[in-house]
Amino acid sequence: MIKVENLTVKFQDTVVLDNLNLEIKTSNWTSIVGPNGAGKTTLLKTLLGMTSYSGSVSFNGKEVYKDLSRNVAFVPQRPIVPIGMTVIEYLTLGRAKVDGWGKELRRGRIFIEETLETMQLVGLQDRFATQLSGGELQRVLLARAIVQEPQVILLDEPTSALDLQYQIRTMDQIEILKNQGVTVVTTMHDITLSNMYSEWIAVMKNGSVLLEGVSDEVISSPQLREAFDNSISVHTLESGKKVVVAARAESGRRDSNPRP
Amino acid sequence: MNNKTVTAEFKPIWNLRITLITALVLVLVAILAISIGPVALTFQEIVRTFFAMEGGLTGRERTLLLEIRLPRVVLGALVGAALATSGAVYQTVFRNPLADPYLLGTAAGAGLGATIAITSAGTSFNPALPIFAFIGGSAAVAATFLVSGRYFSNPGVLLLSGIAIGAFASAIQIYLQQRNTEVLRPVYSWILGQLTVSDWNNVLWAALYIFLSLIILFRISKLLDGLMLSDEEAFSLGISPNKIRIIAVVAATMATATAVSVSGLIGFVGIIVPHIIKGITRRVTNRALPTIALAGAAFLVLADLGARTLIAPAELPIGVITAFIGAPFFLFILRTTKGGLK
Repeated sequence: MIKVENLTVKFQDTVVLDNLNLEIKTSNWTSIVGPNGAGKTTLLKTLLGMTSYSGSVSFNGKEVYKDLSRNVAFVPQRPIVPIGMTVIEYLTLGRAKVDGWGKELRRGRIFIEETLETMQLVGLQDRFATQLSGGELQRVLLARAIVQEPQVILLDEPTSALDLQYQIRTMDQIEILKNQGVTVVTTMHDITLSNMYSEWIAVMKNGSVLLEGVSDEVISSPQLREAFDNSISVHTLESGKKVVVAARAESGRRDSNPRP
Repeated sequence: MNNKTVTAEFKPIWNLRITLITALVLVLVAILAISIGPVALTFQEIVRTFFAMEGGLTGRERTLLLEIRLPRVVLGALVGAALATSGAVYQTVFRNPLADPYLLGTAAGAGLGATIAITSAGTSFNPALPIFAFIGGSAAVAATFLVSGRYFSNPGVLLLSGIAIGAFASAIQIYLQQRNTEVLRPVYSWILGQLTVSDWNNVLWAALYIFLSLIILFRISKLLDGLMLSDEEAFSLGISPNKIRIIAVVAATMATATAVSVSGLIGFVGIIVPHIIKGITRRVTNRALPTIALAGAAFLVLADLGARTLIAPAELPIGVITAFIGAPFFLFILRTTKGGLK
């Protein structure tokens, strides 16, 4: 379990995270949603252990700041794709945590090859990562995190660069990880998608958690609209599924694009 | 799925055979460079002299081998290894395939140091020149870090600071030259690079610093690969990116400043050699650093051989040779490897 208590993060004089409290359950999928500038990415980086903070962020009772011993994978929203690096070399780097830097163990290679298959990347392994399409690259990024065999995987907007079909595929892959026991934390713009996959949703605004809870409850809560300044509306489909769409101040038009 | 075996062609990312082949090339090139000159020495004579066997060289030829050709080849190899390795390291640290070892003001700082040494001692060769160049180069890099302040981990900021510091040092250097026009020629010839003043003292002095830097860089070479990812990914894989970055830049700068101080500014080596190795192997891993060092050494020894034989008895500046043969070869590799730079 990751326990966040009274977490405050400042960049110079700007308070980015303000007295934030949150519990992230092991082997669960927690989505962090909220408007731009709410501090979602900063929270994710703090959970990773890279950002200094006051308050407490503990993973199984140990403070995370600068703790390099945990195996936490991070999938950035805007990746840095090394020029001239092939997919296989990129994925091999992902084994560094488990196998050691510069080591190429048989077990690692088998794991990489299996991941190439499950992520539908077979045939791309000798291509340069910079020459991949957006969807392929996103799968490679996720594959790089998967071969790390992490306890926790943090994903910053994993679907933001993808068309709808790949969004679902990516989310399905992440769900497989979760079912294998990995703790998943994602920041998401798309609340509908978050609700479809995650058990727990935390809604952030202005650096703190405005509300959190079981996904279905959060999505039905009136406070959710408040977090987005009433610019969203929630609709229930015939199947009983709830969708969140962007809404004009009053009308809440059904035909608007659900992606914010 | 778990009992699946690795497919037949398990090609490891990095293969030590490449390193061994490069080492062999260096040895051959070095022997070639030692044997060729106004007085030709045979392979047998050279080997017999090295191993103190019967039939070795004596007298003037022995002095020629041990005191003139050998130190020059060794110095060339050291400088080439230093420049190529630091180039590769800078390219990783700054995530920029065009980063070269003279970045961060090293070259301009060293140039200023050399100019000060030459202007204060007149046109005769000045034994303090390497020391002044080393101090100038290191001071410029220190200044670059200082003005970058807390943003030093941002490659862009560090790079721009280096350019600004370099421009400042160059301005002072040009001012000094204009005030002392009689030193224009020696300063200019130093800038073009030369390995002509190599006696063993110079070589040993350079070897000490270059070996120290290279050992540090080789030791962290595997971790350097993490710096090619985002800082978050690197951290999540268990390394502290800023720490590695500082160690890498300091060691690479020490190697560069040493190389510049003994040989002047020899361009292209730091960009071309790493890319040739990366192009041939289709790998960007820093596990290639020892190979890049060996290749850089071979490249510069070969270039120096050209510099002193092509228009013998006169000598060409080695910087001209490195650019002249390096640039076309580099373009050839770039084209045939289908743009590893894309």
